[in-house]
Amino acid sequence: MVLLKRVLRSPVGAQVLRRLAWTVPTLVFITLITFIAGDLAPGDPAVRKAGMHGGQEAVELIREKMGLNRPLHVRYAEFVWNAAHFEFGESLVTPRAVNEIVLTGIQHTGRIALLAILLASGVGILLGGIAAIWRNRVADRLAVSFSTLGICIPNFVLAPVLVYIFAIWLDRLPVAWRDDPERGPWIYLILPVAIMALRPAAVITRLTRASMIDTLSQDFIRTAYAKGVPFWRTIIVHALRNSLVPIMTAVGTSLGFLLTGSFIIETAFLIPGLGSASIDAIRKADYPVIQATVLIFAVLFIAVNLLVDLLLPLIDPRIKEGAA
Amino acid sequence: MRGLLFWGSVVFLALLLLFAVFGPQIRHGPFEIVGSPYIKPSADAWLGTDEQGRDIFSRLAYGARVSLLIGLSVVTVGILVALIVGTGAGYGAPWLNTVLMRFTDGMFAFPDILLAILIVGIVGPSFWAVFGALAVIAWPSMARLLRNQVLSLKEQEFVTASRALGAGHWHVVFKHILPHLVGLISAVAMVEVAMIILAESSLSFLGIGVQPPTPSWGSMINTARTVMRSDILPLLWPCLILSLTILALNFVGDGLRDRFDPKSAAGG
Repeated sequence: MVLLKRVLRSPVGAQVLRRLAWTVPTLVFITLITFIAGDLAPGDPAVRKAGMHGGQEAVELIREKMGLNRPLHVRYAEFVWNAAHFEFGESLVTPRAVNEIVLTGIQHTGRIALLAILLASGVGILLGGIAAIWRNRVADRLAVSFSTLGICIPNFVLAPVLVYIFAIWLDRLPVAWRDDPERGPWIYLILPVAIMALRPAAVITRLTRASMIDTLSQDFIRTAYAKGVPFWRTIIVHALRNSLVPIMTAVGTSLGFLLTGSFIIETAFLIPGLGSASIDAIRKADYPVIQATVLIFAVLFIAVNLLVDLLLPLIDPRIKEGAA
Repeated sequence: MRGLLFWGSVVFLALLLLFAVFGPQIRHGPFEIVGSPYIKPSADAWLGTDEQGRDIFSRLAYGARVSLLIGLSVVTVGILVALIVGTGAGYGAPWLNTVLMRFTDGMFAFPDILLAILIVGIVGPSFWAVFGALAVIAWPSMARLLRNQVLSLKEQEFVTASRALGAGHWHVVFKHILPHLVGLISAVAMVEVAMIILAESSLSFLGIGVQPPTPSWGSMINTARTVMRSDILPLLWPCLILSLTILALNFVGDGLRDRFDPKSAAGG
């Protein structure tokens, strides 16, 4: 209790608790939407599960077994309870369990998203920083053009064009994903990761530039110059650290685009990830799989943004000093 | 340079509109089979033919019609919803603000087009499913923006003056608040249309958007992808026109924002 009071009294602690508490209604919201969507899905899941030859009795039996006769709120509670235990029932089309399908998918999707966000953060912060330091010069113009193109060129345009250049014309990289124990996964990941990274890299470039320009015009930067701090030390220790908050926020929201971008990239490169599983399920009207994949994507997105928000006080020099 | 990009984009979009309206009628219809598949560009089929021997020029034009129709109508619906939610939250009672904004925040829990994919997945892919799904995801970002704008407008002196003179809330909203939002809305609308066109093409690329035989740039890219080893042109046309459209809409949006909001011009 004493600890709780102390946490609540410190500004950072209260902020963290409020942020954590806010996650609960958000989770309720997304589970409710996905549950309702599944419930509104056309057709009777019991009839589909019973198949063509299932008679009325078989359907009733399956309905009873699947618990479809119970009231809505009971089934919602069960849906949440099961989802929390990573249990999504059975696929309507294949005899496989849904969690088996999504578990294999999540590894591919997660690996690509992680690599892409690392690449995008590196490229974005570097380009944005360069653009801010040499503002209105050639480097800046190039970085801004890159960022505009990166935001505007869709990844499903970029994917076939780059595949044409690197896989067909230059013949250096594979056209699509293949499970290849000989060459390892990396050569197959180059194009997907690079294409996935483009849009977040562009967004992070834009935000880093704006944030750094803002920071570089502050008084403490002039003070740092005036007292003789070397140029690069000023940039990295003083300017970049103080610009990190909006940049990190952008990294968090970019991950949302990465997750949904995986629908396109996995379809384009035939990667058996969560995104392609979801699209496959939509084509086959396999509602439990659609529900599960969408829910996982949304929960991952919330988790990453929660993580970013919780990390922000650690990287923001102002908040830390304020708390001390 | 900025002026050139802006006016260049305006001209491009005007041409695109003409293309969408008249393109499908110029030589061949978009569903008409005019020859064997994958004919090279010629006097008859200006941009060549697709996998079923249909005129690519005509199909691109019809795709433009589909994209613009969905983009403009979805954004119109989105703006209307955003205006109601935004002014309601910004101008209305505090409890209304809380309820509306919490709901809007909830919508942001679904990143990008995820919710649209869920909706299309449940309803089944069709023109109206795409329209509805995109309308659902279009309004929250605009609502949040408009609400912030309304909140700051509400505190302005001309609003206080108008209230002091005895004006009712409806008068203030329609005569003083809404006219001030026009500039912002027109700038945001352009970028929003670009986003929706992009989303529609993404869904079509994935095969869960507008269904064949109706052409869409996204599905044209997807089918042309499979033959790019032998013929790259059918892939290039839709890629080119889609990218240019998105760029042009963004440039016009940026230009409009600079015009209406002097503060943003300096930031670049």
